[in-house]
Amino acid sequence: MKKKEALLQAATFLFSRKGYKDTAMGELSKMTGVAEGTIFYHFKSKQGIFLAILNKLKEGILPEFERYCHAESEKTGLDMVEESLSFYLFMAANHEDLFAILHQRYPYELAESSPECRDILEAIYNSFVGLFENAILTGQKDGSIAPDLSAQRSALIVFAMADSMVRFRMNNLYDVRALSGELVNACRRMLEKRTD
Amino acid sequence: MSVITVCNAIHCNEELIVPQLATKTGYRLVHDGEIVNLAEKLSGISSDRISRAFSAKTSLLNPLTHEKERSIAYLRVAVSEIVAEDGLIIHGFCSHLIPPTISHILRVCLVADMTHRIKRAHSMPKPDKDPSKAIHRSDEDMAAWTMQVLNKPDPWDQAIYDILLPTDKVGVEESVQLIVRNLHSEVLTPTEASLTALADFRLQAKVQLGLALEGHVQAALALEGHELSVKVKNGAVSLTIEKNVLMLGRLEQELKDIVNKIEGVKQVSTEVGKNFHQADIIRKLHFQTPARVLLVDDEREFVQTLSERLLLRDMGSTIAYDGESALQMASEDEPDVMILDLKMPGIDGIEVLRRIKATQPEIEVIILTGHGSEADRETCMQLGAFAYLHKPVDIDVLSETMKKANEKIMERRQQKDA
Repeated sequence: MKKKEALLQAATFLFSRKGYKDTAMGELSKMTGVAEGTIFYHFKSKQGIFLAILNKLKEGILPEFERYCHAESEKTGLDMVEESLSFYLFMAANHEDLFAILHQRYPYELAESSPECRDILEAIYNSFVGLFENAILTGQKDGSIAPDLSAQRSALIVFAMADSMVRFRMNNLYDVRALSGELVNACRRMLEKRTD
Repeated sequence: MSVITVCNAIHCNEELIVPQLATKTGYRLVHDGEIVNLAEKLSGISSDRISRAFSAKTSLLNPLTHEKERSIAYLRVAVSEIVAEDGLIIHGFCSHLIPPTISHILRVCLVADMTHRIKRAHSMPKPDKDPSKAIHRSDEDMAAWTMQVLNKPDPWDQAIYDILLPTDKVGVEESVQLIVRNLHSEVLTPTEASLTALADFRLQAKVQLGLALEGHVQAALALEGHELSVKVKNGAVSLTIEKNVLMLGRLEQELKDIVNKIEGVKQVSTEVGKNFHQADIIRKLHFQTPARVLLVDDEREFVQTLSERLLLRDMGSTIAYDGESALQMASEDEPDVMILDLKMPGIDGIEVLRRIKATQPEIEVIILTGHGSEADRETCMQLGAFAYLHKPVDIDVLSETMKKANEKIMERRQQKDA
């Protein structure tokens, strides 16, 4: 079992940094000292390792989102959106392996043919979008967010912005910290209930 | 009483046949204009803008605005309200919006050959300067329309109509009589089933409009290849999602929420269409051609030209000019496919093939030779060559063979992966 754990760790490192296609099983074998035959004995295939990793990363992060969403808060929904943005960016920085993998093309290609991969990814994204949707729904109840907005669609747009920031940071496209104020303002302007 | 729909190619005697048909039957004549006006009233969009849906030209912005789809959705609602009346002749583009499940409708199409149409065009009170051009433009509009609403590229396709009337051969009087005769056939009496189909169409039109207003682009009928299609049967709405979406659960919920709000909807179900999981097809397209090709031939000019021509077909290749370097490059570069000449100085083709198949059997070898005998062919195939082709080779044949070799490789890899 320990060997399996070590293999997963090493494979996570390789997949998240080099990408799925550029990771050779020989390399994983060299890195861990585990013979290729043994690797395939544990995981059956390269794809099997990848799914095991994705699942493990999912199990690692979803409970944190879950806990965050259900925490009691005195804040208005609109403030919760702001906080959720910070939480999302914080989580992305703390779970670099997962986010590096999520920002590759391969998992989505695999999801088209593998229902298992599909389910894992759908659960991850549901939880990400759910974070913002939850805040927006709260805001529509407490009157801080416009009631005529579609909570689900607005949540998807806010999430798309937040996730692009993660991509910006991972690829060093720009100094993302400098943009965070604008990001928050943009989301506020988009969601807030106007009195006039 | 029933309903007749008439669609025509322009200048096919329609200006004579349609009014006569109205007089003879006593049916009320409904042109596109009336339907567009009703759509304008329903939508608040000007009739000019709505009429743009009939043009083959689509605004560049349409993918963002979905204006065309929205106009069509309003037109469909308008038609569905009008067609509930009895004793109508619905003439024009909008006739195609009525689904064939409503069986008490007689569908007529007027066509004629080009010579006749041009002759008719010249006899008009105000003839076009260039009638042939005008006819072509009008035909294009009609083709784009039937493609959009029926997924049929040919607007004069017999399958869309009950009667396809060649008005250059059948006279005006005779045409009218023929239509009227068919009108009295028993098949066209409204039945319980056809009236249910009519009610379903009215609900479907409303559902499609509701979805279009929320930006969900759909097919007019339950057709394949679109992102979303709507079917209504006995009042129950079923939505088929064709576009592959990862957050499927969320999309299904959103669609149900939209449709449930529409008046008259009692039941909504969603399902995933045949095209939803078409990943395999896409992947096949992507990897149709082998990624790494090694060409082995000592005729430099020939092999360089071949390499260039393969590049034009998106196949990159490297070249070895003799057997020895071919073997070395094969072990270093691990090509997917090797194209091999037989007669070469030093290690000849057959020997290269033998060694490759012994050490790297996964490489598919296509023999391409100018001098090979039947005995050579047998030897090569026994040694495990994928194909045996003669020079000069048709580039289509060669690339087809390479694609087949690639399919074999892909299948093997998939089996290994699974």
